Amino acid sequence: MKKFVLILILIISIVAFQKINEELINIPSYWPKPNYNFTENPLSKEKIAIGKLLFYDPILSKDNSISCASCHSSYTAFTHTDHELSHGIENRIGLRNSPALMNLAWHKYFMWDGAIHHLDVQALAPITNHDEMDESIENAVAKIKQSKKYKELFYTAYQSKIITGENVLKSLSQFLLTLVSANSKYDKIQKKEKEISFSDSELKGYEIFKTNCSSCHTEPLFTNNEFENNGLAVDTILNDFGRYKITESISDSFKFKVPTLRNIELSYPYMHDGRYKNLQMVLFHYTENIHHFSTLSNQLLNKIKLTEIDKRNLIAFLKTLTDEEFLRNPKFQPN
Amino acid sequence: MNYLNLIKTIYFTLFLICYLNSFSQNKKQFQINFEPVFSDKKLELENKYYKLNNQADSIVFTNLKFYITNIKLLNNSKTIFKEKNSYHLVNLNDSNSLALQLNLPTNTKFTSIQFNLGVDSATNSKGVLGGDLDPTKGMYWAWHSGYINFKLEGKSNLCITRNNVFEFHLGGYKFPYNNIQTIVLKTINKNHNIIKVDIEKFISAIDISKTNMIMTPSKKANELSQIVSKIFSID
Repeated sequence: MKKFVLILILIISIVAFQKINEELINIPSYWPKPNYNFTENPLSKEKIAIGKLLFYDPILSKDNSISCASCHSSYTAFTHTDHELSHGIENRIGLRNSPALMNLAWHKYFMWDGAIHHLDVQALAPITNHDEMDESIENAVAKIKQSKKYKELFYTAYQSKIITGENVLKSLSQFLLTLVSANSKYDKIQKKEKEISFSDSELKGYEIFKTNCSSCHTEPLFTNNEFENNGLAVDTILNDFGRYKITESISDSFKFKVPTLRNIELSYPYMHDGRYKNLQMVLFHYTENIHHFSTLSNQLLNKIKLTEIDKRNLIAFLKTLTDEEFLRNPKFQPN
Repeated sequence: MNYLNLIKTIYFTLFLICYLNSFSQNKKQFQINFEPVFSDKKLELENKYYKLNNQADSIVFTNLKFYITNIKLLNNSKTIFKEKNSYHLVNLNDSNSLALQLNLPTNTKFTSIQFNLGVDSATNSKGVLGGDLDPTKGMYWAWHSGYINFKLEGKSNLCITRNNVFEFHLGGYKFPYNNIQTIVLKTINKNHNIIKVDIEKFISAIDISKTNMIMTPSKKANELSQIVSKIFSID
């Protein structure tokens, strides 16, 4: 009898959690299972709302001047356009281009070099980095504790009068987890929605993509979540060794996390240091400008040959990954 | 949301049953006190200590924190008690954190205590955690995920660094730098034991003029973690 009751509780819990998740985030059926463990941080409307408030609140930076959204704007797929390297407080310039934020529940590592192993602790890096927000998490939480608005919200969400670092970071994760981009033209075609199909040029571009790009930018997330050296010449001022800095293994030199191509139309400039302003320049790099290192991705050992027409078609396909609904979703924008 | 309320009620009832059950067993308290020392002197932050009793080599400590986790009691190397949820941040600046209490069944017989200095890999691989493991405790690396196991900071004119500071942030949970240390000490009393943490042993085992800034899970951090594991004693 005892066993039966326990199993029943377990089943109810699982069903209930799934139900909550479905209401709060949209996970397409044909996508792989998320990597994030939702049972350790079950989503709730209240916690997501706090996360969103924090995301847009400059309280997290040392001089209360910039928020997460300063470098991750919702209108540009949560990245920082027009800046090769993102800047933090007092116009300090960072080492890299801020990555676009979406579909984070499927990521295994965070940051260009994978320095962070879990979404819940990711925000610690930009909050404390000298060139970004330059704040300590202790002080950021202390400032949040002083705010009457947050006191009430945290109490409702966590039933505790004490605001902790754990709850601040979990709330941020909750909002970030809701940033699912899965309704681009490409997705609508995958879901076989009526009256939507690729144009001739997009279809040709899709074939080129599958032949030349998809081993790293794997569908449906358009990243394999791995680290690769994509043959960029070393910027001798930045001297960024990428993944090597984290693993100290020579075989990881100049490797960076493969970014998603979803909403790529809007997330310019491209590459970890934002060196390419547009997609034409990116395709020029892959076809004509690969630098050969010992750690160069196997996929790039053979020259990629594309005609100008091929490139135009490929870019037409890449633009079908733009998800207007995601970019304009009021749920993701400041209150 | 109705589901959730139902679950909460069921969980609460189960919790209550378990909680009441736990009173049926007789418990006794076993207390451990950590006592940081510098050789034969009590260690206090901001006090001056001398490595060679020489005015030229004064050392001031400004911060000492470390994680004591996974506490077990052993009876002739056989584990007979394991503390649940065993994560303690010991902080010299917070005297309450220096004392730990274990609730044991009255008849527990043991000859030694075992604990880890640092946070294990499985816990490190999880997301954000609370209590003593909350990242606001100043023991979590922001730029590179993972806990700091042992933190010692201070100043010494032996260090040719900016403002003569030294900073040891020893951590690392991944191969090849899994720097967590397991420590076993013979207990001498069944109710109360004082564990000395002799920082002088650490300082004299290294050359602080050369080794004074360790803040990554590296080979050096591994060497130093092993040294630190030997500064704990019960006597």
